[in-house]
Amino acid sequence: MNNFLLAWIVLIPLLSSMTLGLMYLFSIKVIKIPNIVFTVLGLSSPFLSFMIGFSFFLQMIGNHEIFLYKAYRWLSVDGYDIDMGFMADKLSIFMVLFITFVGGLIHIYASGYMKTDKGYGKFFFYFNLFLASMLLLVLADSPIIMFIGWEGVGVCSYFLISYYYEDTKNVQAGNKAFIANRVGDLGFIIAMITMIYYVGSNGFDYINLEAGMQNVPINVLTFIGSALFVGAIGKSAQIPLFVWLPDAMAGPTPVSALIHAATMVTAGVYMVARFHFLYDLIPNVGLIIAYVGAFSALFAAIIATKQTDIKKILAYSTMSQLGYMFIAVGLGGYSVGIFHVFTHAFFKALLFMGAGAVIVALHHEQNIFKMGGMRSKTPIVYFAMLIATLAITGIPPFAGFFSKDEILLTAFSSGEYLIWGIGVLTAILTAYYMFRLLFVVFHGKNYQESRKLHTISKSMIMPLIVLAFGSIVAGFIGIPEILGGNNLVGSWLNDWKNSSLHVEHSREFILMGINILAAVIGTYVAYKKFFNYDMAIVPKYNGIIWKKFYIDEIYDRFIVKKVKEVSIFISYKVDVNFIDMIVMGLSRGFIKSGHFISKVQNANTRFYAFFMLVGISVISTYLIMVMR
Amino acid sequence: MDFGILSVIIFLPMFVAFSMLILPVGAKGTRNAAFLTAIIIFILVCMVYYNFQLSGYMQFREHHRWISTYGINYSLGIDGFSLIILMLIATLIPSAYLWLWDGRTKGYWVSMLLIQTGITGTLFSQDLILFYFFWEGMLLPVFMIIGMFGTGNRVFSTIKITVYTIMGSLFMLISILYLGVAFFYEFGSWSFALNDIVQITTLSRTEELWLFAGFMIAFAIKIPLFPFHTWLLETYSNSPTGGVFLLSSIMAKLGVYGIVRFVMPIFPDLYKEFAPYFVWIGIFGLIYFGIAALMQTNIKKMFAYSSASHLGFIVTGIFTLNVYGMTGAAFLIIAHAMATGGLFLLVGKMEYNLGIKAIPALGGIAKKAPVFTVFFGIMLLCIVGLPGTNGFVSEFLIILGTFGFSPSAGVVSALTVLIAASFMFWMFQRAILADNGNDVSQMKDLNFKEIVGMLPLAFLIIAMGVYPDWFFYKIEPTIQHYLVDILEIRNY
Amino acid sequence: MADSLLSYIALAMILFSIGFLGVISRKNIFIVYMSIELMLNAINLIFISLGRYYETMVPQVMAMIIIAIAAAEAAVFLSLIVVLYRRKKSLDSDIFTVLSQKDAHE
Repeated sequence: MNNFLLAWIVLIPLLSSMTLGLMYLFSIKVIKIPNIVFTVLGLSSPFLSFMIGFSFFLQMIGNHEIFLYKAYRWLSVDGYDIDMGFMADKLSIFMVLFITFVGGLIHIYASGYMKTDKGYGKFFFYFNLFLASMLLLVLADSPIIMFIGWEGVGVCSYFLISYYYEDTKNVQAGNKAFIANRVGDLGFIIAMITMIYYVGSNGFDYINLEAGMQNVPINVLTFIGSALFVGAIGKSAQIPLFVWLPDAMAGPTPVSALIHAATMVTAGVYMVARFHFLYDLIPNVGLIIAYVGAFSALFAAIIATKQTDIKKILAYSTMSQLGYMFIAVGLGGYSVGIFHVFTHAFFKALLFMGAGAVIVALHHEQNIFKMGGMRSKTPIVYFAMLIATLAITGIPPFAGFFSKDEILLTAFSSGEYLIWGIGVLTAILTAYYMFRLLFVVFHGKNYQESRKLHTISKSMIMPLIVLAFGSIVAGFIGIPEILGGNNLVGSWLNDWKNSSLHVEHSREFILMGINILAAVIGTYVAYKKFFNYDMAIVPKYNGIIWKKFYIDEIYDRFIVKKVKEVSIFISYKVDVNFIDMIVMGLSRGFIKSGHFISKVQNANTRFYAFFMLVGISVISTYLIMVMR
Repeated sequence: MDFGILSVIIFLPMFVAFSMLILPVGAKGTRNAAFLTAIIIFILVCMVYYNFQLSGYMQFREHHRWISTYGINYSLGIDGFSLIILMLIATLIPSAYLWLWDGRTKGYWVSMLLIQTGITGTLFSQDLILFYFFWEGMLLPVFMIIGMFGTGNRVFSTIKITVYTIMGSLFMLISILYLGVAFFYEFGSWSFALNDIVQITTLSRTEELWLFAGFMIAFAIKIPLFPFHTWLLETYSNSPTGGVFLLSSIMAKLGVYGIVRFVMPIFPDLYKEFAPYFVWIGIFGLIYFGIAALMQTNIKKMFAYSSASHLGFIVTGIFTLNVYGMTGAAFLIIAHAMATGGLFLLVGKMEYNLGIKAIPALGGIAKKAPVFTVFFGIMLLCIVGLPGTNGFVSEFLIILGTFGFSPSAGVVSALTVLIAASFMFWMFQRAILADNGNDVSQMKDLNFKEIVGMLPLAFLIIAMGVYPDWFFYKIEPTIQHYLVDILEIRNY
Repeated sequence: MADSLLSYIALAMILFSIGFLGVISRKNIFIVYMSIELMLNAINLIFISLGRYYETMVPQVMAMIIIAIAAAEAAVFLSLIVVLYRRKKSLDSDIFTVLSQKDAHE
């Protein structure tokens, strides 16, 4: 057995990142190390991990083997052991494969995008660390080891978002991301601890937890499930903790691609899928998850229709797509959710990379209404973006169609027609805002023709082509049975409850038709409004949608500001004027009374003599009265 | 180990300090001698660690008569809980000396050595009077180092901390004497040894309550627990780097140590009875100080609040009455000492180079001093409790223990992950990362000695987070002993 | 016999009170000094009358010692007064406040 190789999937990027970090420090402090060294090291690790992951994938085909590897005993208190263990089942390996694959392509892209950046080595240090954390997250065999990766992803995202740390705004965005994530982590920790007490008496790995869940009271399970979901909300940017996601665009574009496509935000979905044995027992919480997902999807899609920053539009679209995934996993269609994670990784990475290419070409211009006419100038990027847009819109046969169709099918067949309706509405909006972006950026009339474009390097174009191809074919692994496919994803992850399988074929076709119709409607509206859009004036938006429903302001006003006020109240009022007053008052009281008593010692001999007389009189009177 | 290794560990620094005072040696010679002493002590402590048996009982006992008329003896010993603090001291002090290497006077080094004697003496004492002797003796060099080498309104802070802690200690002294007298009445002979005092049975409940309060006030002021914390701000803010380093990373922990070593065995029933109150006081302190830290503009005061916040959490841990919480507290003592100690050294350097303590006047340090920022980041992540650092392991265990003690308290105590992250990251943004247009050109990056000094801390923080089990096995028997034999909790 | 003792003691107390009043009410340092002497002599009177009453010599010895000490004291006291007078050019006892708390603190 080569199970120890599981650990190496994580260790390779980890060691590589450590080496990169030390080399970077060495490079800025002592001798400059050429970028090519960083490139080779940084780019090789995801592909090595991919190879190892692929070897496990091959071993898994056709059987139900689960690979376990316990590296060492991580913690042992009072006879309760928690191991640093790795587990690869079909879900983990599926995640590993596309994380390393898409992640690797983003690495290649980044090597072109960041070419001239001073912190080139540092960037790859963070990138590899990010990848290592994400791989640890999916390969962990117990929630607590997963949490190490979970938080590692969070902190790496902090460092990457605030990558250009000289600007306060970027660091603020990083802080926001980290703290919103931490709110989620709070839920995760509470869930873990509850699990240790109620479920994990035999051990804390997933296999034991699954066995232990059966005898636990349902309200405890509900508590655990809800707390875990809070964690997922934080990491996957759903209502109400999504505020960090748009701001996370402060980082370089490859960072956005990495965070939004293959890693980080999908962690929440993965986590719910990983705990499917828990959520199977508590369908009510699952329903809540689905509703949160549905509303997040709609909410984000509405906001996206009015944004002008190309990266923000994509950020909201990510949130919206994540909402779809939560609909699926909430309703028990775990494999469907993971399928959408998979296809989404391809087309969203492609969208971000394409956007990044456009941004680089236009010298870091991000407002779509200042772009325009890019089709002729960057044709490859245009076709890549077109494919990705078609994929996210859900036009067959591109990747997004199959996964989105299955999600809506899941919603419909579960009898949650409201969620289904929201899903379809969101699909219309998705088509609208994505084609709006595409038409404005690539077809719009450009009034700055004379401006010279920045060259886009080959290492940025190559991943685009690969991913464009991926966005076309990625969906084929999940072609539903009625279309003659055999839903490889579903059968790969087949041991789970999958409610989408119990619908009549005719109805399934109708639903599919509705989805395509929705996509077409959205596209048509966008075409009418924005094809060959004339950008003589950059449109200025206002109103509640443009302001993102004032959510940031509300949080700022009612949470951040209040906490700050309380803090000022405590540290400058209560502590100084009350507690310290008492303490200092005591000591000042001693000093004051000392001063007062010292007045008696006024060097007036006659005064002393008088007091002697008084004292003697009192004492003798006392003696006479008492001792008699 | 029959040459009295503990006595050597205690008195070697004092001997060196006094020799340096007598001999005509300059600041550099004193510094070299101090560093050599720290290294020797590190080696001795390693020997102690190596020879330490896996059991919960006192080891390396030394016993000599001191004031035999009143049964006051020179009696030393360590168990697992002392051992980890001892390891901590031995590891931290050489690092700190490397950081303080240049520009310190002879008096500074002598004070540092004397503080070291006081700390280790307090840690080893098994006799209440001896403990009190070292406990108070420790204050004297602290008094000197802050009063002579501090900044700002240093004399005021000096007097504040000294008077405050001595006042607290007096309550403890009264309690100690009362216990001695009670022992005399019950057994007919004098003794202040901890092993004898715990046998007293004649105390009434009222008496016990007062004595318990006497001890707890002394330790609560030292830790400090809410509401005895106001000395902390001025002291931390005005202390010189070495002083604040020792205060925050070691001396504050001795308050916790005192509770575990003395209060728990002498008053086991009251300890159990009052545990819920102290758990909640700890949690309250955690939140209160955490929120207070958010808007502090003086970076050292902010760290003072952050320290107080974590110490509240440690107190929560030791009062959870189960093995998770107490082990976690022991672990957090180490984790927090390293991270906070490291942060104070780093901030001390910043203050030394720039002369600024106000957060709004900083910023842009990261660009100027990348290695500095890397270490700052590691310490910060440990304080925040990021998995992969020992901060997470300890916080997780304490939350686990608190949850076992009372689920509601556990849920509330989990807020620590949020609070610490908010104030630390916000500070990091304003003081270190973002460029606010302030002039920080005087900031220098770490030199070789400083990197060497900081590496053990950073390494241990990560190693203990990645492989905590290796560091646990010597603590756990002691904690089990506390719970099973002293507190007599069988089914925790 | 007892009656006469009582009257002696009464006289001594009156003398003592006069002396004490003099100490606390007069400013002139010489008068203060004389008042102190008066008080000493009042004590002497008590001793001697008690000696007579109990027919023992011990109080008389004490009285002699007091007289001797008073004489020695007079020498020291007068020289001190001379020195103080040279310093401050005054005999007012209230101005001699060298040992007062005020100077030390303010």
